Amino acid sequence: MVALTDLRIVPNPEPDDLSGTETAFYPDWESVYEDNVVGIYQLVFRKVGNAADAEDLAAEVLMQTLKTLRLPAPVHNVRAYLVKTARTVLADHWRNHYAAKDAAAELQQVPPDALTAPRNSAASERAERLLALLPDQSRRILELRFLRGYSVREAANELGVTESNARVLQFRALRKAAELELEVLT
Amino acid sequence: MTDSPADRVARYVDDLLHGRRPRRFSASSEEVEAMTAAAGMASGRVGADLPSKAALDRIHGRLAAAMDESPALDRHVTRRVLLRTLGTAAAAMVIGVGLDEVATRQGKAPAGTGGGGGQTVLMPDSGAWRPVASVTQLPAGHAMTVSTGAVDAVIVNDGGNIHAVSGICTHLGCRLQPDVTVRKLDCPCHQTAFSWSGKVLYYRLQSAPANLPKIPARVNNGQVEIYTV
Repeated sequence: MVALTDLRIVPNPEPDDLSGTETAFYPDWESVYEDNVVGIYQLVFRKVGNAADAEDLAAEVLMQTLKTLRLPAPVHNVRAYLVKTARTVLADHWRNHYAAKDAAAELQQVPPDALTAPRNSAASERAERLLALLPDQSRRILELRFLRGYSVREAANELGVTESNARVLQFRALRKAAELELEVLT
Repeated sequence: MTDSPADRVARYVDDLLHGRRPRRFSASSEEVEAMTAAAGMASGRVGADLPSKAALDRIHGRLAAAMDESPALDRHVTRRVLLRTLGTAAAAMVIGVGLDEVATRQGKAPAGTGGGGGQTVLMPDSGAWRPVASVTQLPAGHAMTVSTGAVDAVIVNDGGNIHAVSGICTHLGCRLQPDVTVRKLDCPCHQTAFSWSGKVLYYRLQSAPANLPKIPARVNNGQVEIYTV
């Protein structure tokens, strides 16, 4: 039992929390992993569009970061580093698998704050906004393919064109979408 | 028959739409442009860009394996630390925390600095199971704060597995606020956040605060109960 006389009034505590600390810190790798693994996966998924590659690339980004990161480190530094690593890993992916020399232009669209933006600022919204900006026929073919899951043949029937024309239409629509994304949405 | 760029891109789109890893080929910059737009469109389908639990487990497993191969990494991260994250998921498979689990601190941080390391279990001397909510109030993917008067806790339904952690920030005692969208517990006082399992996610302090104590929890007769005084 502590005697009452042993208790002392504690003076106002020093604001130790903020002095010299402008930002939040990750204490260890586990925290970095838990806080970012989903965000990294989504970031790379949006650039490769499939789960198998997204899984490989997300693991690669985390692996490379793990090798160089010194912790504790400020949250915003770690996230910026993860995004930078993701860009490099994505550029390597396109270079290695599709011989793409200049994927860099497309990848510049990964904003440095990609991991701090709300996660639900969804890819679906972005896709919808892009579709709305496209000329009629381009929008139709992409809607049929990506939103309704039509095959090229089904889309061609719906649009009253040949399959070969539908493929060309799709190719042009996607290039137009890429251009718009670069010009309008960034 | 030779493929045109439109044909190759169409095949790439087919692979994406069927959830396959796309075939590799040598692409022109125009094709790459179209393909990245296609990837963006494919991820625009609702929920498409969310990783499955299995995918997250595999990513985790790969990192843990890399730890084994690179002992030099031990200074920054240990396999034990990584496995603990997996362990958290595994532990959540069992409802609550075993009562025989002793309150131990395995932290590698120096005493008094808190931060990282282990997680204590709040085990009162003369406790009892007390209902704090109906399971129907806590659907999967939700967390809620509850109070027994003696103890403030956050009960969590993580994919059907219910567990509880202290609802009080280990720094200066502010009440934590569950953030359901990103599955974390925010301290309203100083930019600090904990995972739903009680692990410090990040902090804005001179040193890392301790992880949140776990509180034994179970489901009994449709009620979520925590073990407390």
